[in-house]
Amino acid sequence: MTSEDLSYEQLKKEIKRLKRKRSSQVNLVWKRFTKNRLALIGFIMVSIVIFMAIFSPIVSPYDPYKTNPLERFKPPSMKHILGTDALGRDVFSRLVYGSRIALEIGALIVLFEGMIGISLGLISGYFGGVVDKVIMWLVDVLRSFPIVVLALAIAGILGQGVINVVIALGTVGWTSYARMVRSKVLTIKELDYIEAARSIGESNLSIILRYVFPNVLPTVIVMVYLMMPTALIASATLSFLGLGVQPPTADWGSIIAEGRMYLLKAPWISTSAGFFIMFTVLGFNFIGDGLRDALDPTSRRN
Amino acid sequence: MGTLLEIRDLKVSFDTEEGKVEALDGVNLKVKEGEFHALIGETGCGKTVTGLTILGLLDNNAKIENGQVIYKGIDLLKLTEKQLQQQIRGKEITMIFQDPSTSLDPIFTIEEQMLEALENELELTKEEKLKIITEELRKVKLPDVEELLKKYPHQLSGGMKQRVMIAMMLSCRPSLLIADEPTTALDVSTQAQFLKILEDLKRETKITAIYITHNLAVVSEICDTVSVMYAGRIVETASLKEIFLNPQHPYTYKLLHSVLGIETDIEQLQEIPGSVPKLINPPSGCRFHPRCEEAKDICKTKIPKLQEISDGHFVACHKRVMEWTKC
Amino acid sequence: MRTHGNYIFRRTLRALFTALGVSLVAFLILHLAPGDPVKIMLGPYATEENVKALKARYNLDKPLYIQYFTWIKNIFTGEFGTSIRYNRPVSELIKERMGPTLILTGSGLLVAVILGILFGTLAALKKNSILDYITTFQTMFWLSVPSFWLAIVFLYIFGLKLRWIPIAGMTSFSSTILPIMTIGLRQQAWFARPMRAEMLEVLSQNYIKALKAKGLKYEKIIWKHAFKNALIPIITMVALQLPWIIGGAVVIEVVFSWGGMGSLLVGSVLSRDYQVVQTILLFISLAVVAANLLADILYTLIDPRIRIER
Repeated sequence: MTSEDLSYEQLKKEIKRLKRKRSSQVNLVWKRFTKNRLALIGFIMVSIVIFMAIFSPIVSPYDPYKTNPLERFKPPSMKHILGTDALGRDVFSRLVYGSRIALEIGALIVLFEGMIGISLGLISGYFGGVVDKVIMWLVDVLRSFPIVVLALAIAGILGQGVINVVIALGTVGWTSYARMVRSKVLTIKELDYIEAARSIGESNLSIILRYVFPNVLPTVIVMVYLMMPTALIASATLSFLGLGVQPPTADWGSIIAEGRMYLLKAPWISTSAGFFIMFTVLGFNFIGDGLRDALDPTSRRN
Repeated sequence: MGTLLEIRDLKVSFDTEEGKVEALDGVNLKVKEGEFHALIGETGCGKTVTGLTILGLLDNNAKIENGQVIYKGIDLLKLTEKQLQQQIRGKEITMIFQDPSTSLDPIFTIEEQMLEALENELELTKEEKLKIITEELRKVKLPDVEELLKKYPHQLSGGMKQRVMIAMMLSCRPSLLIADEPTTALDVSTQAQFLKILEDLKRETKITAIYITHNLAVVSEICDTVSVMYAGRIVETASLKEIFLNPQHPYTYKLLHSVLGIETDIEQLQEIPGSVPKLINPPSGCRFHPRCEEAKDICKTKIPKLQEISDGHFVACHKRVMEWTKC
Repeated sequence: MRTHGNYIFRRTLRALFTALGVSLVAFLILHLAPGDPVKIMLGPYATEENVKALKARYNLDKPLYIQYFTWIKNIFTGEFGTSIRYNRPVSELIKERMGPTLILTGSGLLVAVILGILFGTLAALKKNSILDYITTFQTMFWLSVPSFWLAIVFLYIFGLKLRWIPIAGMTSFSSTILPIMTIGLRQQAWFARPMRAEMLEVLSQNYIKALKAKGLKYEKIIWKHAFKNALIPIITMVALQLPWIIGGAVVIEVVFSWGGMGSLLVGSVLSRDYQVVQTILLFISLAVVAANLLADILYTLIDPRIRIER
């Protein structure tokens, strides 16, 4: 056996050892996550909502848009489990279809703000200097506005519609991702292998994509779950105020707004819509918390 | 000299994410009045846990499975938290910790925190208390005491903080001081200074101390008796002279043999083959047997008891005890 | 001491920069509008002369940076323009609406902070007890419901069904209870969780062990040492949560017909009364910037580690 073979063998062993270590870490995280009962409950809750959204036509007993003058303001019964609204539409069916809109908007917002926030966070943390200062200034500025207030103004000016809600909330929401990612990048930047990669002349882009981003990813995944509730509640707020999704589209926020007008007569409209929002948001919160604890157990122990 | 504190068959375990850790597995220890008793061993062998157990300061995930801690005839493990606070801590037994930088509350002045130590002395006026405090701080050779009292912890150096700690802990005149590696976080010259202060205190106050350390030089300077700990058990106890001249347990022997060159810190110890066992799944029998060259079959199955082989010299090793009984 | 003064100076400078950015955002937001903002303001039936006149009046025919400086200059003289919806000076409207909003957010914040600190501390002290689990769950619950829905549910239960409290307006003291409690109960969750974490963090510190070792009473260790140490970071938290509280208050004002800046903002957005929207945006965000600055300075004054240099 030549010395070259030996070093190659050693190298292979070392890689194996590192891989084992890594997979045992992944296992530990997975173990912690599944041991967390709330996270598991959250997972089930979100799965239910996703199922509802995908299979709305099957899950809902009625057409959510079909009005029926004879069936107005019917309280919850076997026929309409969550009652009917002012136009005689089945509230449960409308809420089931609403989950589609809610998840769509939520996912779009998280995608939009995530893309902006992660890129700017990576750039800001990796390059530092003036670029960092400018991006962080922008973050400071945007965070001085309450999300709902600024999004309200933006959506009001852009006009109604789903895309405008996404733009309005995304422009405000990316700052959370940027800050999180940046602080993570600052610690990763100091690692030896980043230094090594730089010394052998790897380009910045390739270092960011190959070494920095994979390390940021776990944080980002947690962020997505923790930001989804904000996106859901904020978009519901905008529709409630009449700036988001427009009637007659079945949307949780606007269903609450409609129900509010008949609160005394038909309290089930607003309340049940709220429960749907709560159920979904709670689910995401449970998962987000569980993931965070699993990835960083010290945050829970302390 | 009578026995001030005796630990009998103490077993302590911790619940951790990875499983149950048997941190202490049958610790036996006698501390005589007036002595400086060194508790020596590698990191993770249970020295600190022993100290914390005496004062009832273990974290919530710790469980005392078995044993007694007899202090002046009372079993401390039977006392309630309230009784410990009112009768034992501060007044009878006190403790200083490894890292002086985190041992003081950052948002209160030294004066405020020193006064608290005397809070149970109801008959003293504030002026009298301040006088005691000043006195104590002078004893540990801290300069500009009046000014120092007005300062916050972050304004002091590590060595000064540790001196403040010891002055604070001694201000209510306890009989027993547990010092948990008090010099580890200090630099070498500060260490020497601090040891000098301890020596003076020992001479002047006749205080008893359990000195937890992994530094043999420190042990040789100020301790009278040495107990060697390994993986949650005491493996050997003897006077300082006996330990250094006539070590019996193979672990003690290796420890001294490998360390008594230039390095005096066990943590730099590399010569003993194998590593410190994990206490989640400790070796059976004598916990040292996987690393012991003289190990026999019995060492793998039977836990050796700590037995007196000569006056005041105890060792927990099947082979040694057998040799001695043969003689 | 010099470095501490330095810190305050730098922090203030940063706040000024942020304020500059905030004013830019509030100013530029109007220009996001697709098409001519003046035409949008005046509606589809505006005549060409009207548009021109309005443009000249608001300097909209000038370059952007001149418009911005004129706007800023006017703000410093208390001139915020005119509301087209009410046909009144914006400054008058703001003056009327400021009080109710301050009452609502101020008392809501106070309730939230007190309840949050209380629940958080108790949960930490009784870690893993029923109380701790209830706190975890109740904070999760409040954070998972939209505040406008909460307002509606409270309105239904206490106003319509039980008839304890008037359902809308600002007519009496009792009418303020529901909106304040809605804000307070929901936002306390934002403080309870960090307070619990901070308290547990402090309790795990070495100095707590040292305090015990010197024989200090449990009550003193908890309330004098642990509680005070845990409270310091919460100061910054309060300022950081202010935008959320204001945001929540906007919708709550709408639900309870509370005549504050929030309901004015929503009404103005819907009726495209942009001068009002701009001014309110500026006011709210400047308040947040100021609160953050204040909290950071307060923090340095309270924490001796920062206040007094080595």
